[in-house]
Amino acid sequence: MANQPLPLSQETLAQFNRSMATEPGASGPPKRRLGSISTRRSSKDQPHHRPLFLRGMTVPSSELSFLSANVSNSHVSMGKRFSFAGWHQGGRVSFSGLYLQQPIQEVYVENTCRTGPEPGCHFSATRTKQILQATLDSYLEGVCYSPDSCSQLCLMLADLVLSELKDVSPPRYKLVCQVVVGQSGKQGIRVASRSLMNLSTDNYTSVVFQNHSLFAVALVHGMYFE
Amino acid sequence: MDEDPSAEETTFVVDEITTVIKEAVESTIGNSSYQHSQINQWMSSIVESSLSQLTKLGKPFKYIVTCIILQKNGAGLHTASSCFWDNSTDGSCTIRWENKTIYCIVSVFGLAI
Repeated sequence: MANQPLPLSQETLAQFNRSMATEPGASGPPKRRLGSISTRRSSKDQPHHRPLFLRGMTVPSSELSFLSANVSNSHVSMGKRFSFAGWHQGGRVSFSGLYLQQPIQEVYVENTCRTGPEPGCHFSATRTKQILQATLDSYLEGVCYSPDSCSQLCLMLADLVLSELKDVSPPRYKLVCQVVVGQSGKQGIRVASRSLMNLSTDNYTSVVFQNHSLFAVALVHGMYFE
Repeated sequence: MDEDPSAEETTFVVDEITTVIKEAVESTIGNSSYQHSQINQWMSSIVESSLSQLTKLGKPFKYIVTCIILQKNGAGLHTASSCFWDNSTDGSCTIRWENKTIYCIVSVFGLAI
């Protein structure tokens, strides 16, 4: 771990050190605990001004050090990798040095035991058709076909139609919307669709728009998610 | 009741479906030229055979198969789709096929039940 989290503030360290110094039995060798901060009483009684960095720091034995575990009595060696993930000022800390984090709670969705949509909450083909028609008419009126812009236009239409339908579609319905935009030429074109669905809950609708230079076909399927 | 189906059975596998659809299109319009009178029949045949083959895969999916047949005339065509579904279980694939006189675009959408 190359980047350490923020070092402890000097006040916190000084305070802790003072409190340790006043405790009885603090003159003994520091407890060596993995993953913990232990403090050492120094032979010199001076506050420590240097910021605390936990790795790659070697300290002369005579100086006060607020260092990590595996501190030898005479010399600090940082051979062991030590992680302090989550140390930051103001964070919750226990004096074992471990940062207390809230456990990540997985979200469990309960089974609704629902096998079909509620009455009145079915995918409405007629209403969808009205919305589709209105959208296409308003968006494409007066638009001329151009090979460069029509691919973007097609994508935008598909997204636009989907966003409008998402607002009005009943819950638990998945929507598939397809838009075909083409140049009005003298070619023949046919668009067909067939689906494997549950007729009691699912439905589809399609709308065609045409002007002098382009045509557009929008196809929307609403599928109930059991 | 088997409550832990293998991952393959509940995800949309694009390769498998592409193969199925290509076969359906080839067998229907193969080397034919665009004929207005035959179009209805071709469309029904492509779409029905695709759907029946997809059903035979036996996966717990609802399918939507869309087919566009376009005569090659120099005119441009764009198609786009947007879907409101669960990305982890549902998927789509689009197969483009052409010969000298016909463009055929088949889109398959699979929605997990």
